[in-house]
Amino acid sequence: MDPGLLNYLLFIFVLVGIYGLMSLGLNVQWGLAGLFNAGIAGFFAIGAYTSAILTSPEVAGRVGGFGLPILVGWAGAMILSVALAWPIGRVCLRLRSDYLAIATIGVAEIIRLVARSEDWLTGGVRGISGIPRPFGELSYLASQWAYLAIVLTVVVMAYLLIERQLNAPWGRMMRAIRDNEAAAAAMGKRVDKRRLEAFILGSALMGLAGALFVHFNRSITPEAIDPMIVTFLVWIMLILGGSGNNRGALLGALLIWLIWSMSELLTDLLPTEIAIQAKYARMFLIGLALQLVLRFRPEGILAERDPSTLRNEGPR
Amino acid sequence: MIRKRFAAALTATALLTIPPVSAQDEVRIGLLFGISGAISAMAPTMVDAARLAISQVNAQGGIGDGKTLVGTLGDSGCNPQNATDAATKAVNIDRAVAIVGPSCSGSVLAAAHSVTVPTGTTIISPSATSPELTRLNDRDRVFRTVPSDGYQGAALARALLERGIETVAVTYIANDYGAGLAESFRSEFEANGGTLAAYQSHDGSKASYRSELSRLARSGADTLMIFDYGDGSGLTILRQSLENGFFEQFVGADGMQSKALIRAIGAENLEGLLISAPIGAGAEALERFSQAFRAENGNPEGIFAATSYDATFLLALALEHADGDRNALPQSLRAVATAPGEPILPGEWEKAKQLIAAGEEIDYKGAAGDHEFDDAGDVPGAYALFKVTGNDFEIIAPID
Repeated sequence: MDPGLLNYLLFIFVLVGIYGLMSLGLNVQWGLAGLFNAGIAGFFAIGAYTSAILTSPEVAGRVGGFGLPILVGWAGAMILSVALAWPIGRVCLRLRSDYLAIATIGVAEIIRLVARSEDWLTGGVRGISGIPRPFGELSYLASQWAYLAIVLTVVVMAYLLIERQLNAPWGRMMRAIRDNEAAAAAMGKRVDKRRLEAFILGSALMGLAGALFVHFNRSITPEAIDPMIVTFLVWIMLILGGSGNNRGALLGALLIWLIWSMSELLTDLLPTEIAIQAKYARMFLIGLALQLVLRFRPEGILAERDPSTLRNEGPR
Repeated sequence: MIRKRFAAALTATALLTIPPVSAQDEVRIGLLFGISGAISAMAPTMVDAARLAISQVNAQGGIGDGKTLVGTLGDSGCNPQNATDAATKAVNIDRAVAIVGPSCSGSVLAAAHSVTVPTGTTIISPSATSPELTRLNDRDRVFRTVPSDGYQGAALARALLERGIETVAVTYIANDYGAGLAESFRSEFEANGGTLAAYQSHDGSKASYRSELSRLARSGADTLMIFDYGDGSGLTILRQSLENGFFEQFVGADGMQSKALIRAIGAENLEGLLISAPIGAGAEALERFSQAFRAENGNPEGIFAATSYDATFLLALALEHADGDRNALPQSLRAVATAPGEPILPGEWEKAKQLIAAGEEIDYKGAAGDHEFDDAGDVPGAYALFKVTGNDFEIIAPID
């Protein structure tokens, strides 16, 4: 294969993996538990900045310089995301879903503004640089391969674990709560507690995605946690791919990134006079794809599997 | 079945869109600008300015023995996700030997860290002003034609101390422009004996700043430093301080040098306003660029238009000097941009080409400055103090 094309594909798949992880996290929250989290960027940011602060070298005027191993950074990213998700969940999950959306969007904005303005913690608008990358000292191609392997390992592990949860009693219970809360409660299920679990699990995955992202780029600035490029893109991925279906979540991430990135190669063939306008075509294409899917296949490309086919014992 | 067909379609798309391995008769450079995102309003002018440089190069003999210089346009957005994507495509798919851009500082940091430095690609940004780039461990692959915010703040601090202004209150807009200026101002001002009575940031989108201003005024300083934009919240702050008589004198940086300010407040009320702003080193160089750009329906006063032009022209000169060796580009950039050498002005491609062929030293004097790169690939920039006279800004004195 042509080395340039290979490098490009490696890059794309690393980002697909990172966004796929967020999409899986959102699937646990929305697809499985029906929780409308509109603050994905907030959890992504917490993960990214936590891991960055824990692992980066010391800089005057900013907390940090711990220089801890990268795995500690990733664990810290997940722990802090959970620590943030827990109080939000405690307060908001009893509200109906649209209130949760408002609350999470607010929290994400607060986090973004803190990241922008608190120099001592996040480096403010200049962000944090010099973050280590695993196998980053290898040659370009080899380090891209290595990072892709890491990301894929994480995504596959997350996928398998969630699939397992989904088919376990926990998953069936979550669906019962999502589809008929009153009935589930009447059967003695603790609705609040289960929802909180799903919310925390999804948030931890989003935090981990942030950590993976920050070590890939070796730097983080507040521009990276813009809701446009995180929250809404991940939502589109999940809705397009099929919410409630983990494979759908991953497929959505893949499709959106391919449209986002590769359509630029197509629009480059247009005449140079409209080259600037043509750059907006990819946003249009993503909007169009979403519209078409919602119109003709509202359940997403890969629909949620019928629970009755998941069961392999007991009477029908 | 559907999936198979889908995969086939995807593969076909991928194959169709990969351009043929770069032809022998052209040299490709990437033009990465923030076409979408926070600075999308400035991008079209920047792109046009870069294209002007490319068309001048091609009209006057091209690169080497008549190779065409081709700029492949990419959208680096104003965020790391788009920037790394665009840079990866420029390097791997478009096979650009070097890149002009990306636009925003965060984009440059991410693209440099994860794409261009590891692949040994030289980049030269016309608009990234964060001092963070100076400290970047870039193996000498990252340059810029716009001065770091660090220079202007420090220059302004020295100028104020020289004029006997020793106590000021500072307010700056909370973004990388405002924070960069304020921080470099503070360290230089305090190191040379100045006193900051107050130092705070403000959000750029509020309707009123009276509470912030009254707090600043209570600090006792007579002079307010406003690191902000004169057509945005900087205007509001200035107007409200004048209305309430909070301060006697105001000092701003280049962002405040906006005619909207004079129109809205009136020149007669702005006698106490001092502004520092970059000045092009050579009036002739700027004039040559302005004429050529106006002829192409461009706006030479557009923000970063001159720096975008200079970045592209400098890169072309370096490509000519390096004779196609991408690893020699950093040394070549320094060779063509810095003294000594025969001065080259914007558009003088043919003359530069002959001199390079003859093995002579050249020194590009750009529309936005002389571009004497330092060790970090930064340009110092030349600044002057301005005051309001009539309906325009007038230079009082250059700043050392």
